[in-house]
Amino acid sequence: MSSAATISPVGSPLSLIAEVTHRCPLHCLYCSNPIEMQRAESELSTEDWKRVFQQAADMGVLHLHLTGGEPLARRDLPELIRAGRDAGLYVNMITSGVGMTEDRLATLVEAGLEHLQLSFQDLEEASANHIAGTRAHAIKLALVPVLKRFHLAFTINLVVHRMNLDRLEEFIALAEDLQPDRLEIAHVQYYGWALKNRSLLMPTEEQVQRSLPIVEAAKERLKGRIHLEAVFPDYFGSFPKACVGGWGRQTMLIDPAGQALPCHSAAIIPGMTFDNVREHDLKWIWESSSAFQRFRGDAWMSPTCLACPRKERDFGGCRCQAFLLTGDPNAIDPVCSFSPHHDLLKDLRVSEPELLPIWRG
Amino acid sequence: MELNSIPRLAPGCRLHPTESVLLIPEGTLNLTGPTREILTMLDGTRNVSAVVGDLLHQYEGADEIEVQKDVLDLLNRLQQRGVIRA
Repeated sequence: MSSAATISPVGSPLSLIAEVTHRCPLHCLYCSNPIEMQRAESELSTEDWKRVFQQAADMGVLHLHLTGGEPLARRDLPELIRAGRDAGLYVNMITSGVGMTEDRLATLVEAGLEHLQLSFQDLEEASANHIAGTRAHAIKLALVPVLKRFHLAFTINLVVHRMNLDRLEEFIALAEDLQPDRLEIAHVQYYGWALKNRSLLMPTEEQVQRSLPIVEAAKERLKGRIHLEAVFPDYFGSFPKACVGGWGRQTMLIDPAGQALPCHSAAIIPGMTFDNVREHDLKWIWESSSAFQRFRGDAWMSPTCLACPRKERDFGGCRCQAFLLTGDPNAIDPVCSFSPHHDLLKDLRVSEPELLPIWRG
Repeated sequence: MELNSIPRLAPGCRLHPTESVLLIPEGTLNLTGPTREILTMLDGTRNVSAVVGDLLHQYEGADEIEVQKDVLDLLNRLQQRGVIRA
């Protein structure tokens, strides 16, 4: 069959997500780490990571995202940051802030840290701690004035879901008071633990609709002071997102044990095998490993996707989501209105009665 | 942004060492025309007038009013985007 459009060839990846550890003081209801986490004993060594960062820079990667778990759980974090900078990468770190001190931050900035991201689980302490599964909210708030003393970009990430979306205006106001350089409003994505808690976390259609003008107004109001980015939750759309910029097109994720994945969640797809940076260099993995090839291009697509001009933009949507919702990783992403399973999402979007506790009789 | 403002790159924003790209948190901005050159001049001591002066020196025969307007437009846009401060 002749295809309606062509997907441009793959170049080099732009970002490297380094999950340096899965150890974390937080236990968020929507944690994006895999259900089966890598243990501390299997973590890559400092030297392994240094080699990986150099290989990434050599192949044209620009941004390094140090994440976890909690990156602060690694004692060699300053060394990792310095290695990333020395290789020429832009170094970003995503942290819970738990375990951060002014001295420690000074060491990280001195090592070359350029951007730090701190996420907030809710605007009130009790509920934020409930969602994070630990008492982290006050620690985060106390850290912000310390952060502001250092020369680095600071992003606040507001994670939104059913329990806090109705208070988005106040949530944005809290963030505004903290004066970050950037503010991200991120809907929970339903993989891993978040999927287990979907009925508790997924907002209703009405909540999402009410939130949209609030986000637009905040963008205008904060212009020139705080750069606001908000991603529309694709469960509520008619077309899928270009997940991670397209499978194996822009992003490489290395897990704590050195496995290279195209995205956070790829391991849930049956039949995937991941090559390890202990055995292969990054360029080989990017170009030749089966995991990165599997959903690259359009050969795997259903006839509907294959003939669709949108494939140049969304690259067929999210494979993990297709698998989780339909059981078939090659299926049309159910977010797409052309999917025979699109009604699944329509059913999830309607308001459910509040979840009530069931008492024993 | 005024002619006597002293603009500089915002924290967490820096020029790629070789390419016409500004590295910013979570992304890149592709720099066209003389933008890279202009950003290189933002050293925290030069004001906008000085930057315009340097450009006029470099591009002989360029119209001063036009260069001034282009530089201010560019810097204002980048300030709105949060990648430079004044």
